[in-house]
This record gives sequence, C-alpha cells and structure tokens, in this order.
Amino acid sequence: MNSIVLNIALPLLVAFLLPLIHASSRIAARITGPLVLMVMMWSAVIVFKALEYPVSIALGGFLPPVGVSFHLDQLALLMATIIPLLMLLLWPYQYEQNLREQTVLLLLAAASSGLALSGDLFNIYVFYELISVASFGLAAANRQASSFAAAFRYLLISGLGTVLALTGIALIYTQTGTLNLAQLGLLSSRLDNPLGLSAFALILLGIGVKAEIFPLNGWVAEVYSTASTRTSALLAGLVSKLAVLAIVRILVVAYDDSEAGLMLLVFGVLGIIWGEFSAWRAQDLKRMFAYSSIGQLGMILLAFSIPGEAGMFAGIAMMLHHLVVKPALFLLTEKWNHGTDSLRGAARLSPLAAALFVLFALSLIGVPPLPGFWAKMLLMSGLVGMDTSVYYIALAVLMIATVVEAQYLIRIAVTLYSASDRSSELRLASNTGVMSLFAVVLLSALLTLTPLGSKLYHIAAESSNRALYIRTTFNVNPTPVLEHKNATQEASL
Amino acid sequence: MNPIEMNPVALQWLLYFGAMGLIVIGIAGVVLHQNIFRMVLALAIAEAGGNLLLVIAGFRFGAVAPILQDDALQTLNTSNMVDPVPQAMVLTSIVIGVGIQALALALIIRIHQRYGTLNMREVHACMMVDINKSAAVDDLLSAQQPRGRRPLPSPPESTAKRANNE
Amino acid sequence: MRNLTALLFSGGLAFLLMVIAWQFTLGDAPMLIGAAILDNAVKEVGAANLVTSVVLGYRGIDTLGEIAILFTAATATSMVLGSFAMTDEASETEQREDGSILGSSVRLFFPLLLTLGLYIIVHGHLTPGGGFQGGVILAGAFFLPLLAIPGRSINHGGIALVEGFSGAAFILIGLTALFSGQAFLQPLFEHGVIGHLFSAGSLPLLYIAVGLKVGAELSGLLANLAGISSHAAEAEK
Repeated sequence: MNSIVLNIALPLLVAFLLPLIHASSRIAARITGPLVLMVMMWSAVIVFKALEYPVSIALGGFLPPVGVSFHLDQLALLMATIIPLLMLLLWPYQYEQNLREQTVLLLLAAASSGLALSGDLFNIYVFYELISVASFGLAAANRQASSFAAAFRYLLISGLGTVLALTGIALIYTQTGTLNLAQLGLLSSRLDNPLGLSAFALILLGIGVKAEIFPLNGWVAEVYSTASTRTSALLAGLVSKLAVLAIVRILVVAYDDSEAGLMLLVFGVLGIIWGEFSAWRAQDLKRMFAYSSIGQLGMILLAFSIPGEAGMFAGIAMMLHHLVVKPALFLLTEKWNHGTDSLRGAARLSPLAAALFVLFALSLIGVPPLPGFWAKMLLMSGLVGMDTSVYYIALAVLMIATVVEAQYLIRIAVTLYSASDRSSELRLASNTGVMSLFAVVLLSALLTLTPLGSKLYHIAAESSNRALYIRTTFNVNPTPVLEHKNATQEASL
Repeated sequence: MNPIEMNPVALQWLLYFGAMGLIVIGIAGVVLHQNIFRMVLALAIAEAGGNLLLVIAGFRFGAVAPILQDDALQTLNTSNMVDPVPQAMVLTSIVIGVGIQALALALIIRIHQRYGTLNMREVHACMMVDINKSAAVDDLLSAQQPRGRRPLPSPPESTAKRANNE
Repeated sequence: MRNLTALLFSGGLAFLLMVIAWQFTLGDAPMLIGAAILDNAVKEVGAANLVTSVVLGYRGIDTLGEIAILFTAATATSMVLGSFAMTDEASETEQREDGSILGSSVRLFFPLLLTLGLYIIVHGHLTPGGGFQGGVILAGAFFLPLLAIPGRSINHGGIALVEGFSGAAFILIGLTALFSGQAFLQPLFEHGVIGHLFSAGSLPLLYIAVGLKVGAELSGLLANLAGISSHAAEAEK
C-alpha cells in the first residue's frame, strides 16, 4: 500500500530531471513522460485491486494526527487511476517545442494524485496550490497575448481564492489545533458554530475557484477560449473534479450534520443558473462548453450537497460522466474555432465527428438510454428523497436548466446536420481517434450499467462513511513508530 | 516575559483584527484597483494577512520560539514553547506566495509588451477583442452594452509606442 | 457601476471577516498536534530546531510540494518569458562596463553572501534558519552581479543542473526510506547528539537539497525577469 506514494514521488522526480534528460537525449525526454504516466497508472491499479477495505498510510512514518496521512479508499484510487489515464490521452505527443509543457503536465499529475489521496487539510492546500500554479502555466502556454491576459486574470482570482482558503485553514486551526481530517471529524462539534461554518465557506470559495464555483468563475470562459484545447479539457475534466473532491472530503469528514451542505447547495444552484444561461447566450462553441461546464459543476455540487450515500452516489456518477464527456467535447472544438453559425452543414464533411458530438450532447442533456440520463436520474431521485422545500426548489432549477441545456446543444446539432447553401470548407476535429475512445468509454458504461452502478454505489457508501474514515486513519498499520499518546488521547475525548 | 505592557486579551484582539484588516485591505485592493501591477501588490498584502493569521494561531503568551538553545538544550524542556506547526505552515505558504508572485510578474511583463497597457479594463477589452476574433464571432455582446462607459481598446501598436515614450 | 459592485463586494467581505474576527474565542488556541510534536520531536527526530523537525519530518511531504511549486513557477515563468531564446540574444549584446564601486563591492559581497547562505542552510536543524532562508540568500548572491552589471548573462545550464539534482536528491532520500521498508520521507540514520552539527539523521541532507533547490529556482526566476527587462531596455534604445 505504501507504494502509492510513487504516484507523487515519481512524476515529481522525473519533472525535476526532465530538462537534464532532454539535454542528453531528446528521444528519451519525449518518451519519459508517457512512460511515467503508465507506471503511475499501473501502480494505482495494483493498489486498487489489492484494496479490500480503506487503508491509511502515514507519510514520514509519523502516525496520523501528528504526521501527514494519505487516505486510500476506492474513490481516491479511482481518481488516482483516472488522472494518468486522462493525461496520457491528452498528452502533447505531436508537438516539438513542448519540454516545459511536459514538465508542467507531470507536476500536475503528481499534484492531482496527491490531492486525491491526501487526508490532511494543509497538505490538501499545498497540492491544490501546486495544481493552481501548474494550470497557470498551462493556460499561458499558448504564448498568445490573449492567453497571457487570461492566465493573469485566472491567477488573480485564484490568488484571492488562495488567501481565502488559507484564512479558512487558519480559522480551523485556531478552533481545533489540528489539521488531520479524521481528527477534525472527531472534533467536529468544535466546528459546528458560526466560526467553523465561515471557515468552511472560506475554504469552499478558495478551493472552489478551480471547481468553477459561482462567484469566482469569471476566468472559466476566458481561459478555456484562449488556452489550447488539451489544456481546457484537462482543466474542465480533471482539475475541477479534484477540487470538488477535496471540498467533499472536508465536508463529509469534518462537517457532517451541519449547515455546510446547504452552502454547497446554494452555490451549486447559483452555478447552474449562471452557467446554463450564459451557455445559452454564447456565440461560439468553446465559450458555450466553458459555461456549460460551470453549470455541470453546479449540478455536481448540488448532488454532493445531499447528505449520505444517495448524494455521494449521484455526485460520483455525475462527476465521472462529466469527466468523460467534457474533455471529448473540448477536443471536438480544436478545429471548430468558429462561431456556431458557420458550422452549418459540417456533418457532411466529417460525419464521424458530428455523430460523436450528437452522442456526447445527448448524454450531457440526459436522454434516456445514455449514461448521462442515469447520473441525472440519481441526482433527481436524491433531491426528491430529501423531501425538503429547499431541495424541491433546487430540483425545479435543475429541470429548467436541463431544458435550457437541451435547447442550446440541440441547436448546434441541428446546425451541423442542416443543409448548407455554400460549400463549407470546415473540416472537423482531426483527432477523432481520442474522441472515439471517450465515446467507447461512454458506451461501454452503458453496456455494463448494472455492475458499474453497484460498484459505484459501493464506492459511494464507503466514501460517505465518516466513521469508517476516522477509524481507518487511526488504525494505521505500516511502519511502527512511537505512539503519540497525547494527541490520540485528546482526539478520542 | 511580556515585552509589551498590555493586556494579553487586548493584544490578541489587536492581532486578530490586524490580520483580518490586512486581508481586507489586500482583497479590496485587488478588486478596486485598475493597475494590474498594483493588483499583484495588493494580493501580496492579502497573503501577508493570511500568513499573519496562521502565526497568531500558534502564538501563546510568555512562550519562547520552538528552538532548543543554550540551557534548554541540556534540559530538553519543551513545555514553554509556541506551537511549531503554524510556523512550518507559514514557511510553506510564504514560498508558495513567492512563486505565484514571480509568475504574475512574468505575465505582467508579457501583457505590457503585447497590449502596451497596465490598465485592467483595457487589458480585458483587448483580450475580449482577441478572443472574439479567434472565435470568428462579431463583438455582439459589447455592441449591446451602453456606449460611453466602456473605453474602446486602442490598437496595440499605438499604445505600445505611447508606453515607450512615457 | 462596476466600481460600485466592487465596493459592495469588498465591503461585504470586510464585514464578514470582521464578524469572524469578533467571534474568536479569546485565550490560547487549542494545541493538539503542536503539543504532541513538542513532546516527542526530540525523541523522534532529534533536531534542536523543532520547526525544522516539522518542516522536514512530520510534514515533509508539504515541503516536497512546496519546492515543486517553486519549480513549477520557475518553469511556467520561463514558459511565459521564453528564457533561452532571450538569453541567447542578450549574450550577443555586449556587457556594459561596470562602475568600479559597484563591481568591487559585488566581488566583495559575493563570497560573503555565499558563505552566509551555506552556513544558514547547514545549521537549519540547530538555529532559526534552514534551506528556504539560506536558499534565498544564495539566490541573492547570484543575483547581485546581475544588478551591478546589467546585460550580464547567467549560466542557465548550471542552474538547471543544480535545480534538477537537488530536487531529485530530496525525493531520492525519501525513496531510500521507502525502499528500505520504512515510510516515504521517513528520517534516516541515527539521531546523534542533539545540538551538534552532525545530528538529526538525514534532516541536514534534506535541508541542503532544499537550500540548493530554492537558491537555483530563485536565481533562475530573477535572472529570467532581469534578462527580459534589460533586454526590453536595450530594445527601447
């Protein structure tokens, strides 16, 4: 189990050395990155398979309340497997001058794995910051004037988020004197007051910058329409999910049965309204997908705001669905860099890309047999199951948003297939190969719906179990070290 | 031990409000300023406030720094020390802040070279023009805005010249 | 209109934060992990500077993340500024004559700063100091000539070498612990006598790696920023 730290150590090591590898052999430098990602995937899969129940590992050999601990459960390892996989798909293979970009991507992979695994508040913050800095670099990698400006605005908003998150962490530390999530769970009564809740709100806003949370998402459309499509796909597909995951971990473990969930609901609903209506107004595809991803992330936050297994199940399903669909849609826009009107008749020239678009769009809307339908279904039944007026309002908003979403996506689909009066010279995405892979994933999810559903339910039940999380963290097995009597005793009080 | 003749409670209030005040000043600076360089400076102030808050979290009256020196090295007495964890955290967050600020400065240099301005509104306007151009979309949204309030972006060449003359 | 919104936003935030400050319970904050570390750090890590035992021992992974952030920032900065192309052009422009006062004081200060930085790094487990503080001084030592003699080129290859190997050394020390059956980044070796230079196990080694890494990253960052600004100054003339 301890070997999972390789998922952080190895990409960092190679990233540090990549300039030197490049100086000695260019070919070696080109293949090292994908190789490392494959090793990461392999190591995550091995641990995932060996994992029977959640395990906590103590970094540095210091037992959890004092040292930093990683919490290995199925959700964390699932993300740790997806991270290198998605990066392999979106890796810049074909470009020559991309050594620094590869370095930054490896750093992003390490930080993402760390964020998925970490069980310590400040460690989460550190990895989150590493993700931030890496994504600023990727956003500016285009070297266009507009991408510099967009990256700078992104950096400013994110920097504000950093300050807010740091303030929240400091508040939690003054209230509890600890940073370990499990111990915060034991002390959650100290956080169930206005001060503790405002600390959560600050962390939610801070980390929520990457999760495209409502008031702090001004950067989304700008960055996604100036950065390369691969970067947009990574940021929208992966980084936003990891930020949501970090928030959910803090919520589930440290803020059980408090009003913190309602905060998530409010921000989620606002995000849905703002995102979907902005997407409806958008004039070009990139911005439309950017805004629609804000709306989708609002739905994910909404799902996670439902307490208990139902919410976690719906949230994970929505999250994975969005993780497959959104990168594919962004890849689609690589060659569609035009207004939506000029897409007229494009389906005739590239039938495959158009068909894939329709498939993804229908799944995003939630048309019955496709996986997106089941994810949305879970969310709606979860909302109905709460049987509270607030959740019914959220349900109504969700319904309306779905109609809006359907309207703008189907509008594009109709444009694609309508007869063009002039001969369109528009060739659609060239890398339909990668997109077809995403489609295969989506369709295979459709075919294995029952086993997948029960597996996801299992994962959700495990990761929404707060008592299990705490028990796991304090029964650490590997590498015996001196007992920290003080900390564990006070923790059990 | 207490170097300041002051009520501990009052001092603690002062510290907390001071840290929060720095954060507020910084955030207000980022939101209200138009000069992007000043925005970065304001961000640095806000970060300093956050760091100060962390340090205060580990502070206690009459305690010494968590370093064993001289007498304490013999007795290994650690009971009268402040919390070392927030200090380590502050060290980390200062370095993070330095990295982010350096990157921000690099971006500012590039933005100034390309757009010839440090005004956030002008930078934003230039950027939107570029985005709309690359997306082949007419600038419909800004056409719907009321005229007058929003300064039209000047073309990059002329502004670059002006910036050099200054 | 926009100003009004911004004013309202910051006013609201100020109000919120001040309300939070008002709610603080007075008296000392509870100290759970802090107290446990104060009690056990001498036994477990053996560094006289307890902050160092937190930075490199208890929260070593945070420090690894931190140097990774500096490295990412440096890489992203050179991605934005395009350092290599720039320095090639900059080295073609001839070096300006340095004023004799500036030049000789730089020559005087350089070894002093270098010694001071290395001293602070090496004594990081004993005194208030360490890799970050010393690394910044090292970077200052290397930046001083750039300030005194604008347009002077800096050895980017050397910086890349130091930053690569020092960062790798940190991780490799951590991995050595992992492969010898312990946890990642667990302190190695005997603790030795507390307060001596050769004590605290592998912590001084880790701090040397951190110090060199921070020094290299910051000099790279500063050289990049200085290179581009002196280049821009050349272009203006």
